[in-house]
Amino acid sequence: MDPNNTSYAVKLYVYDISKGMARQLSPLMLGIQLDGIWHTAIVVHGEEFFYGGDGITNCPPGGTSLGQPNSIIDLGTTEVTEEIFMEYLSSLGESTYRGNQYHLFEWNCNTFSNEVAQFLTGSKIPGHITDLPAEVLSTPFGQALRPLLDSINIAPQGGNTFNGHYGQR
Amino acid sequence: MEDNGGEDPVNNNNDTTVSSEGSIIKVTVKTPKDKEEIAISEDASVTQFKEEISRRFKAKQDQLVLIFAGKILKDGDSLNQHGIKDGLTVHLVIKTAHKAGDGASSSTSCTSQVGSSSGSSSGPSSAAHSSTVGSTGGPASAPPQTPNILTGFGDLSSLSSMGMGSANFMELQQQMQSQLMSNPEMLSQIMENPLVQNMMSNPDLMRQMIVANPQMQQLMERNPEISHMLNNPELMRQTMELARNPAMMQEMMRNQDRALSNLESIPGGYNALRRMYTDIQEPMFSAARDQFGNNPFSALGGNSDGGVQPSRTENREPLPNPWGPPSSTNPSEGGGGTGTTGSSTTGSTNPSVSNPLGVNSASLGNGMFSSPGMQSLMQQISENPQLMQNMLSAPYMRSMMQSLAQNPDMASQNPASSPSAGTNPAQQLMMQQMLQMFAGGNASSQTPEVQFQQQLEQLGAMGFINREANLQALIATGGDVNAAIERLLGSQPS
Repeated sequence: MDPNNTSYAVKLYVYDISKGMARQLSPLMLGIQLDGIWHTAIVVHGEEFFYGGDGITNCPPGGTSLGQPNSIIDLGTTEVTEEIFMEYLSSLGESTYRGNQYHLFEWNCNTFSNEVAQFLTGSKIPGHITDLPAEVLSTPFGQALRPLLDSINIAPQGGNTFNGHYGQR
Repeated sequence: MEDNGGEDPVNNNNDTTVSSEGSIIKVTVKTPKDKEEIAISEDASVTQFKEEISRRFKAKQDQLVLIFAGKILKDGDSLNQHGIKDGLTVHLVIKTAHKAGDGASSSTSCTSQVGSSSGSSSGPSSAAHSSTVGSTGGPASAPPQTPNILTGFGDLSSLSSMGMGSANFMELQQQMQSQLMSNPEMLSQIMENPLVQNMMSNPDLMRQMIVANPQMQQLMERNPEISHMLNNPELMRQTMELARNPAMMQEMMRNQDRALSNLESIPGGYNALRRMYTDIQEPMFSAARDQFGNNPFSALGGNSDGGVQPSRTENREPLPNPWGPPSSTNPSEGGGGTGTTGSSTTGSTNPSVSNPLGVNSASLGNGMFSSPGMQSLMQQISENPQLMQNMLSAPYMRSMMQSLAQNPDMASQNPASSPSAGTNPAQQLMMQQMLQMFAGGNASSQTPEVQFQQQLEQLGAMGFINREANLQALIATGGDVNAAIERLLGSQPS
């Protein structure tokens, strides 16, 4: 059915949305050392995909207002073609990764990246990224800020969102 | 096709029901929408697996695409071959529509359709971006279908891949802006372009552009001073004049700094406050600037490195004649050290674009943070967490925090408080606590009395014998002796 057997590289682009601020201030404010507040995106088939307050979004790699990533992690390769991937993403976008489901701590860009990484390659993204919310919440400051953070949506600008199935808006 | 219950491990190609061969494993099959556990023989082939799946998920077998560990499971394979064991998860994508033969890589036809993709996105990736996805398989075979897909991606993305004429201006704008921010020289080059200069010399046009930005509108609502400023054509013209000429802009900034530093020398105690205030006010200005969106000329204001650092560097060039500030002049003093180049506090009373929140330095004499700009900022922050998040995510915050962190004593003693009954006491307290926290503060673990011991003594020595009142005043002003004195004087019968 699928004569195409080529494999595509899958990368994880990691951005620090605090631009270094977290690294400097976290010991002060939180009492633990955080090297950054990580926003991640999956780059495959020459496009970058991430999940934010607007839903699943795609753009050229490094094309959001965050600029170039802090680090790029190689997740391996996948045989999943672009076609299948797009279907998959649009299904996700309709079901479990809609924009309004975004929650800064529990259902965020890293959750999405993790899921997509597993779909594409079978491996997860590094633990220090997915563990970040738990780490922050374990500090008193994090707890105190929780109501504020519950309402925050992070949605780096500069991409197009998947608005459901193709041809539909 | 012997039914001998598991002794024939090689038998992978038959179509009998799987339950009698090999041991059963439970594999989780996960789609984007849900997941199911499927029991299957561990020796089964992918085909058999798909049969089972198609029953469970009510889809046709040829619509199913199974993915495990990054590989697509083909019908001829066996589960064993891919290492699918009990308890593992296999991903499933159910293809929705018909598709032609090869669901291969991105289409080049799209690129040829939309012409060269210059501008913000790289060539092949933008082709992929706007390529046929999903329903069409063959690359070159589906031009009539591409418009559907493109609209699915959101509004003329094919045009945006051309880098111009995009319906999605914001995207282009933002990319341009980020480029500009990172490269100030490019900015000055742009400014020198006669076309740009022409445009900027038309104040009405500029005003329209600025006002059209929704963030700007928001800002204008919150700060009527800004709309006032924008509505004043003279001011706009002057501003644009400045913008066009970076040297002049720098000059003017320096003038303002001059005036400011003159003010500083009057009451010695204000020096420290002033410095800190400037550090905070500059990021405030940057906040406004950021909210302006692509306000290109703001970055020209004599700032170094794209202008987000509160510079503590000295003025290196000879300073112009100090022009009459509101009070006594003392030009040689206080100038070099504080060197607030690039800061945007104004000596004059006109709010200019470099000081959009309209802070009047004459009012500084009465209390730093009673300025309307700062107050409104604090209020907005407490009302709108989104704004807080925006602020926090901007680079300038780092520098502000840095300076705060470097002066923890100052921070804990001179928080945002106004001696007059201007500020909301709750805000004061909050600000105080915030600053203490920023300073690594455990300072609040002491009682105020102990904390303000020194200040209390000072006040006592000055003749304020009512210790209670002194303490209250000190708490209200956060330890600022001068401000406390004013407070006390205001409440004492004279």
